[in-house]
Amino acid sequence: MGLKIMRMRFRNRENKETINGHCGLACRKCGGKGARLRFAGFGARSQPSFTSADATSRCSAGLRRLALVGNPNVGKSVIFGELTGRYAVVSNYPGTTVEVSRGQGLIGGRLYDITDTPGINSLTPLSEDERVTRDWLLHNRPEAVLQVADAKNMRRNIILSLQLAEMGLPMVMALNMQDEAHSRGIDVDASALQNALGIRVVPTVAVEGSGLQELKRALVAPSKSSLIVDYDQRIEDALSEFESILGRSDGAMLEDKCGVTLRSLGLMYLCGDPWLTEWLGSNYGTGKMEQLEALAQEVRTAYNRSLDYIIAEQRLKVADGIINRVVSRRTATQSLGERLGDLTTRPLTGIPIFLAVVYLIFKLVGQFGAGTLVNLIETDLFGNHILPWLSAIIKDHVPWPLLQDALMGKYGLISMGLTYAIAIVMPIVGTFFLAFGLLEDSGYLPRLTVMANRIFRLIGLNGKAVLPMVLGLGCATMATLTTRILDSKKERLIATILLALGIPCSAQLGVMLGMTSWLSAGALVFVMTVVAFQLFLVGWLASIILPGERADFIQELSPIRWPQISNIVWKTLLRVKWFLAEAVPYFLAGTFLLFILDATGGLASIIRLSAPVISGLLGLPDRAVEFFILGFMRRDYGAAGLYALARQGILTRHQMIVSLVTITLFVPCIANFFIIIKERGLTTALAIVAFILPYAVLNGWLVRLILSIGVIPL
Amino acid sequence: MKHYYDEALEEIWMLLEREENTIDRVQACLERTGGAASLQDLLTAKYITLDKEKVRFTGLGEEHARNIIRRHRLAERLLADVLGMTEVEGQACKMEHILSEEATDRICTLLGHPQECPHGLSIPAGSCCRQPKETLDSLIITVDRLRIGEEARIAYIQTGSDERLHKLVSFGLHPGAVIRLHQRFPAVVIRTEETQLALEEEIAREIHVRRKAEA
Repeated sequence: MGLKIMRMRFRNRENKETINGHCGLACRKCGGKGARLRFAGFGARSQPSFTSADATSRCSAGLRRLALVGNPNVGKSVIFGELTGRYAVVSNYPGTTVEVSRGQGLIGGRLYDITDTPGINSLTPLSEDERVTRDWLLHNRPEAVLQVADAKNMRRNIILSLQLAEMGLPMVMALNMQDEAHSRGIDVDASALQNALGIRVVPTVAVEGSGLQELKRALVAPSKSSLIVDYDQRIEDALSEFESILGRSDGAMLEDKCGVTLRSLGLMYLCGDPWLTEWLGSNYGTGKMEQLEALAQEVRTAYNRSLDYIIAEQRLKVADGIINRVVSRRTATQSLGERLGDLTTRPLTGIPIFLAVVYLIFKLVGQFGAGTLVNLIETDLFGNHILPWLSAIIKDHVPWPLLQDALMGKYGLISMGLTYAIAIVMPIVGTFFLAFGLLEDSGYLPRLTVMANRIFRLIGLNGKAVLPMVLGLGCATMATLTTRILDSKKERLIATILLALGIPCSAQLGVMLGMTSWLSAGALVFVMTVVAFQLFLVGWLASIILPGERADFIQELSPIRWPQISNIVWKTLLRVKWFLAEAVPYFLAGTFLLFILDATGGLASIIRLSAPVISGLLGLPDRAVEFFILGFMRRDYGAAGLYALARQGILTRHQMIVSLVTITLFVPCIANFFIIIKERGLTTALAIVAFILPYAVLNGWLVRLILSIGVIPL
Repeated sequence: MKHYYDEALEEIWMLLEREENTIDRVQACLERTGGAASLQDLLTAKYITLDKEKVRFTGLGEEHARNIIRRHRLAERLLADVLGMTEVEGQACKMEHILSEEATDRICTLLGHPQECPHGLSIPAGSCCRQPKETLDSLIITVDRLRIGEEARIAYIQTGSDERLHKLVSFGLHPGAVIRLHQRFPAVVIRTEETQLALEEEIAREIHVRRKAEA
């Protein structure tokens, strides 16, 4: 049958793990010195500048520098983990290593400062990841570059090798995933490749640890590749011209400055690299830049295509020549993983799988996390043990009643802020990360985006947006942070708005489910239809009105693999840690603001002033409106309040429906509001709230009207 | 019509494309091109008119020029994409004079009605492009039109977005690369080497492939 059992990935080392911020979920790890690297490359505008001097002085003065470079999903992180004795996350979602991991390792008896750069397909940057890697190489003059290559995809590897060779960097290649390639009928002749590239090529199977000793030996003496691509005459002429313009007085200095060849800089410049242009400009002044610009212009007009493409095409010809010599193919049967992979993206099987996966996520996160775990931690652990105990301590030891209140009162930092973040949100986020890790390591994640892309493009988003949206069902605050994975500014903004507007978080879902005991299934479907309709309407309008572009959907689908549970558990723990560091301060700030509002009587005034307006429009008792306002401040209060009203029979069925629609569309909570400020800026955050508040009330009013006409018998 | 006019009309078309159709530029250009008609000849034959400092086509002249350019650029595509030649200019210059309208349209259909020549200049549309009848199977089609599981070589990628091109090329999708279509819906999924990529239809429609001859 030729079915291949999906490979199990074993790892028996007791290594500590690092996380490199999957999809922008950064984590403050990076070991002892806690250096989370930030790159500012050429002409950094928005980010703090980070020069090579900083990079080296951090924790590694005098160490040799080694950089791992490679395409996405080639096993770079595993090799990084092996070299540093620390284990880095293996994840399948493209763009994984958004931030750079760093560690130290002993190679050939010497300590190296080792950096794992983001996975990239090109060193002519058009994307942030490419730029980070390229900038690192320019600024850090590594003693060795280890290119990790996936033996299954030699063309992409060699394209990168050629660019590294052009930069004149001393390198070694780890030819990884040899076993996978072999089972797919691909054999790569490592020694022929070694000859073709003029660098050491070491075959490895990193997950099994094979080939790594030899790799370490090779890394002691890396060599510069002898293979330099000959471009067509016009480009070659332009390159020598580039070199002579910059080289005449201070070209050597330039090479000193960045440690790569002028030739490679020239190629990047011709390709129209905006960051490089800016950097050259600030170093050479306008005079030289005008000369360079004239040169580039002249070359550009000679071709009718972008030079980036022309140059890439000529490189590819060389790459294909090498591939013909080193790669041989046999026909191989499809593995089980590949077949499963196909099933996940075809509509007939993919949609049921998609629905089943979303259902399981909901089961795990929405029911187990938000239900069982929250009850256990909040009610039992915090409610019955920790809080009473702390409360007693504080009463005894804190003399001022106001301070006591600030810590343990109705809106206390501990009683509300910390409890909220740790007892309610953390279990939800934790179970979500667990589910996320499973999807990621099994290779399903990018396939999920394939199924979702059709729907999301209608509202100006990319398939990738399915991730923050699903997370939004757990916690909108958290989900807003993860909108970073989206490629364009416009998409991030749309996703933020939709999360704030209509994706019901677990607390909202809780009320909805709770109220269903008094409502018909039809009423629930009606509420969900209204909310879904609003999501589409607002998303669609936002995609038209907001400026900017939606990013292309070009998604690499990584192979389906058997996930390694220990890896996922580690990853989850580190991500939860990241969440605590990133979001908890905002929960505390929100609580403190609320405390002040309450103590000064501001909160009461807000409720007093707004309640009549809203209750008039929505036809709800004043007390219900009070819970809306409270709901913004503290979600579970609002939810629980409405729930209580319903239970006491104060709300009619129509009023329940109206309040459900309104509270679902309402701004989630104050913590989410703070995160929106943090991620999108104050103006945007205020604009979003200014839109959502009246819009939610308007919807509630419309629903009330529709119900009162009696067209829909609910 | 004589080649004598063809060459001249072709030159003027290209100058018009670049908006360099001043009388001086045209005159200089025609003098440089050996065996081309002079400005005066073209005026006499009513192919062009002079409008202030600019040279403009008459209706007749424009139609002739469009047809020549169309034949030339289609010939280039044929030589490059189907016959795999790298040096296409010389041959195309000869073919532009001898192709009949029917032959031109058939080549155009065979190539899947391409819109740009290998140099990235636009190919004027013919009647076959405006109402494609597809009586002849195109040899060059967009990747989404392959059969599921069919393999083909990329002939060219025609896109207005440099960023998109950069992305595709860095995944190894470039002219000459072999790709296989896995599925069309909900997104187009293709495979090149062992990399599986999901693309939106609109991107897939920009990737033109040459089908392998049926066995």
